[in-house]
Amino acid sequence: MNHQLPAILFLLPLFAAISMPVVCLKHRHWSQPISVATLAAMVLVSILNLHNVIHHGEVRYVFSGWTAPLGIEWVADGLASIILVLLSALSLLGVVFTGPTSPKDLGGRIVHYHTLILLLVTSMTGILFAGDLFNLFVFLEVAAISSYALIGVAGGRALFAAFRYLIVGTLGASFFLLGVSYLYAVTGTLNMTDMVDRLPLLLNSKALLGGLLFMFIGLGIKMALVPFHSWLPEAYTYAPDSISPILASLVTKVALLAWVRIIYWVFNASIIINDIPILLLMEVVGALAAVIGAGLALAQRDIKMMFAYGGISHIGIILIGIGQGNQTGFAGGVFYLLNDSVMQAGLFFLAGVAFYQYGVRTIDDIGRVGKQAPWLTGSLIVMAFGMIGLPPTGGFFGKWYIILGALEAGNYVSVAAVLLSTLLTLAYFVKLFEGIFRQTSTRLDVQSGEIPLSFKLTLGVTSAAIIILGLFSAPIVQLLLNHALPPSL
Amino acid sequence: MVDAFFAVFQRPNFLTFVIIFLWGFYIMVTRYNLVKKLIGMYLVQTSVIFFLVSISAKKGATVPVLLSTTDPVQAASYANPLPHVLTLTAIVVGVATTSVGLALCAAIYRKYGSLDEKDILEKLE
Repeated sequence: MNHQLPAILFLLPLFAAISMPVVCLKHRHWSQPISVATLAAMVLVSILNLHNVIHHGEVRYVFSGWTAPLGIEWVADGLASIILVLLSALSLLGVVFTGPTSPKDLGGRIVHYHTLILLLVTSMTGILFAGDLFNLFVFLEVAAISSYALIGVAGGRALFAAFRYLIVGTLGASFFLLGVSYLYAVTGTLNMTDMVDRLPLLLNSKALLGGLLFMFIGLGIKMALVPFHSWLPEAYTYAPDSISPILASLVTKVALLAWVRIIYWVFNASIIINDIPILLLMEVVGALAAVIGAGLALAQRDIKMMFAYGGISHIGIILIGIGQGNQTGFAGGVFYLLNDSVMQAGLFFLAGVAFYQYGVRTIDDIGRVGKQAPWLTGSLIVMAFGMIGLPPTGGFFGKWYIILGALEAGNYVSVAAVLLSTLLTLAYFVKLFEGIFRQTSTRLDVQSGEIPLSFKLTLGVTSAAIIILGLFSAPIVQLLLNHALPPSL
Repeated sequence: MVDAFFAVFQRPNFLTFVIIFLWGFYIMVTRYNLVKKLIGMYLVQTSVIFFLVSISAKKGATVPVLLSTTDPVQAASYANPLPHVLTLTAIVVGVATTSVGLALCAAIYRKYGSLDEKDILEKLE
């Protein structure tokens, strides 16, 4: 039973997604209960799976009896299992959040929305578990196609943003596939474990370096690294409010994890191919992303746009942590990734509540909310603490471990980049708070009633999670150090 | 330098791949019409698939069905089926992406009455 858990985790949302359009054809109001139930079951199974992996070691799931190098295999190791708990919990929250917003927000396409969300969760599970490179490509594309459709689902301005995302994202996928075919041409295998054994003989191969760089470009587009980030802000800003939390918190991070899988599990991260150290590349690009993303966030007036750029800068910080090539940095990077997913989800929930409940989209309007919205202001303060990285929150400990890792590696540029990005984050949150507490004569035009329960629930849970991740940072990082480290560290 | 130049012509499939890829990329970047951008995107996808097929071509090989089970298997006399299977999957992925792209184009046309990026951007302002 236990070794079937990865397959169950994948099939749960897949079956729900396939049966959704059939079941909900006549009964549209069934769609939300079905997806909430499915994702709640997935949370339970993923916790069971994590427990199993921690106590009995990683699970290698073999499809239809064809063992590893010939057949397709899935690897449920510590890293994938930990992230999967987060993924299913956050998508459950995202689906709970949509209750009150969805009819207006999605233009009545509730069944489409739930089907696509479940497909997105299915494919992200596949990305985390995939044990061979081509499988990874296919799941990346399924995830990407679901997100294009999700962004465009309600029509309006988002359509054009979704189209741009589609064009850029497909270019990224083509680069990734090109990289995969380079590696296949050089090594003759696609299975990650099998490839590890064949790589050491090929370190002078230019095709290997080319393949790795093409994969980096492809995944860089998917994770919105700074030179390739142009699709993200518009897509996430104009996407319906019920959709952007799930997209912002999960899609880019899962692409980053795919890159971590390739660079640490397939390639030994510290290798130097043709005199080019790959980790240095990650640190430099990460430092650029961290600083430039935060700088661009400072220039925004639209709240969602600001948070989207904040997410871009945090991808850079995670990459800095992971690129240090030591245990502290790696665990810090993954821990920061957990935090960042929660914070991004929380911030976009917050932006959704602000618009749905108070009609607020920009910093200039936010002053009108002020004291009338204790839930909104309260959770914003917690999330701002997390984003800036002040002590009781998880954001602080994540950055702390990343900086410790950078110091251990003697990388002072990385330390400076993290600190500079923190200062810029502080600056844009100060700008936001200045907007809130500024005295304005105009009152709210929308007479807001009581906040719906699901809004309180999602805002409360994400804010609490940010603080809990901070309070329990030591055991979580220890868990990451014990179970999620790649074999080469 | 001259050697490198001739080495390129030793492998016409790589040259074809590069030309199709860059051609598609050029169309994606320079054209304002959304459907033309999709065509460029499709060319890029197809070029990568072409590359994957062409590197797996083998002279004098037959279908991968064992002719005799007694001898040790002669790998050189059978075509490798894996790249072709990968190609099929990649084609399916490409078709799915293109269809989502066309659906978005149709929705954009219904909303803005134009497929020209410049017109749409004007209407967005």
